[in-house]
Amino acid sequence: MNRRVVITGAGVVSSIGVGVDEFWRHCLQAKSVVAPIPENWGRYANLHSRIWSPLPDINPEYLGVTRTERLQLDPGSVNALGAAREAFERAGFNLVPDADSSRVFSLEGVDAARIGLYLGTGIGGAHSFLHNHTHHLYQRARAALKDYAETRAPAQDRETLDGIVALMAHGPRYHPFVVSMLMPNASSAAVAIKFSITGPNVTYCVACASGTVAVGNAFRAVRDGCVDVAVSGGCEYLNDEHGHIFRGFDVAGTLVRDCADSETANRPFDEKRSGFLFSQGGAAVLVLEELEHAQRRGATILAELIGFAETFDAHSMMSLAPGGEQMERMLRAALADAGVDAHDVDYINAHGTGTKNNDETEAEVIDRVFGKSVRVNSTKSLLGHTIGASGAIEILVTALSLRDQTTHVCKNLAAPLRDLNFVRAVGPFDLRVGLSQSFAFGGHNAAVVLRRFH
Amino acid sequence: MNTDVQQRVIKAIAEVLERNEEEIRLEASLRDDLGFDSLKQMTLFILLEDEFQRTMAPEDLMGIATVKDIIEFINRKLQEPASK
Repeated sequence: MNRRVVITGAGVVSSIGVGVDEFWRHCLQAKSVVAPIPENWGRYANLHSRIWSPLPDINPEYLGVTRTERLQLDPGSVNALGAAREAFERAGFNLVPDADSSRVFSLEGVDAARIGLYLGTGIGGAHSFLHNHTHHLYQRARAALKDYAETRAPAQDRETLDGIVALMAHGPRYHPFVVSMLMPNASSAAVAIKFSITGPNVTYCVACASGTVAVGNAFRAVRDGCVDVAVSGGCEYLNDEHGHIFRGFDVAGTLVRDCADSETANRPFDEKRSGFLFSQGGAAVLVLEELEHAQRRGATILAELIGFAETFDAHSMMSLAPGGEQMERMLRAALADAGVDAHDVDYINAHGTGTKNNDETEAEVIDRVFGKSVRVNSTKSLLGHTIGASGAIEILVTALSLRDQTTHVCKNLAAPLRDLNFVRAVGPFDLRVGLSQSFAFGGHNAAVVLRRFH
Repeated sequence: MNTDVQQRVIKAIAEVLERNEEEIRLEASLRDDLGFDSLKQMTLFILLEDEFQRTMAPEDLMGIATVKDIIEFINRKLQEPASK
């Protein structure tokens, strides 16, 4: 069975915009949000990178998330719920409140058992894990040390002890729902519970390719007739009180190092790139739907998904295989799956992290497979790297680019590392086929191919 | 009894149970009359922590059986410093 699959709804939470309209407007304006990392992170480690892309303050109620839900979920899941709600509304589904709960909805006129949930995340609820781990580790020790400092310590030691006590800061309690907050499948479960979706429910944990792999497998599930509607995407929340997650990427040497000019520090595909801009997180959710199912509902179609492929390097946990042999094999398989040739592809939303290795290998492979005429940009040049959400956000950008026949610039690209057709100015383009690709720690390669829908 | 605390506790109970505040009587048993199970009870106390900015340990909840018990418990907790 080979059914046509279209995108009928989308929702997004990102550092440069909450909601598709704001997000896309800011993409085309090349807006970025770059700020110094929280000051207290520097008390725990000597960090090389000094900037990140923080999320705006978002009222969870704006995302349709009640206090009762918010208090039991990791922020990553809260953002996923907000993106999902927007996606359903944009897809034109009437959300019917449950008879017994105002927090729960169902999608009117759709068989809930024929809807699948496919979300990606790189680190799941790491924020909740670390928040509670710090309490677990420090609560008693800090209280004992504080008591000693205040009652029995020699006066000359007091300042030092107070400083140590301050470093052992932790949250007020160990959360009774910590397991269901930190488990990586929490976001896909939370979305399906809130919207009463009873079909397959899968979480893809494939580092930076999680969102792409999730959407790709959702595409296959609809195309193959397993489900009629697939809710797919990615979500990630990378913030924690002590900068632990940031440090992990920093110590690996992946984050942007040259932070002297924070506005131009993030520069994928540029000769002077020095790493990726760490994002606080984000979420993008797409509603995929079998074409006739969408047309019967009178849904507005954003773009068509036509192909997907994934391969694995089997080379290194942290480094792309030189030459990109498996990247190329993946891309050629994605093109074959889509039934298009490389020269049919007008636009590539690249992985484009801004690390030395990724951009060099990725540009080399793009040149080899597609040549120099295909337009290329990196959405990470605007909002930094959202890890497990990035692939889904970039597929959304690809779909919007095909819909509007334009796309955003590859920001801060002054001296391209290779002679490719990088997008340097927003303009009217003839974009019929687009491709969004992701490469991940571990060695995962994946791409989704989309076509403009007429 | 502090009526502000009473109203806020009843509002939190109504929020967890998704019932009207008018249905929550002071003498009501959490388990027998309002249908609280252990998960709902944990949810309620998370909400109360958020509402009153006080930390509550599981052992604090021993002996709490009615809505009135919660209100008295919260009034006692409010004598303690706020959570960080």
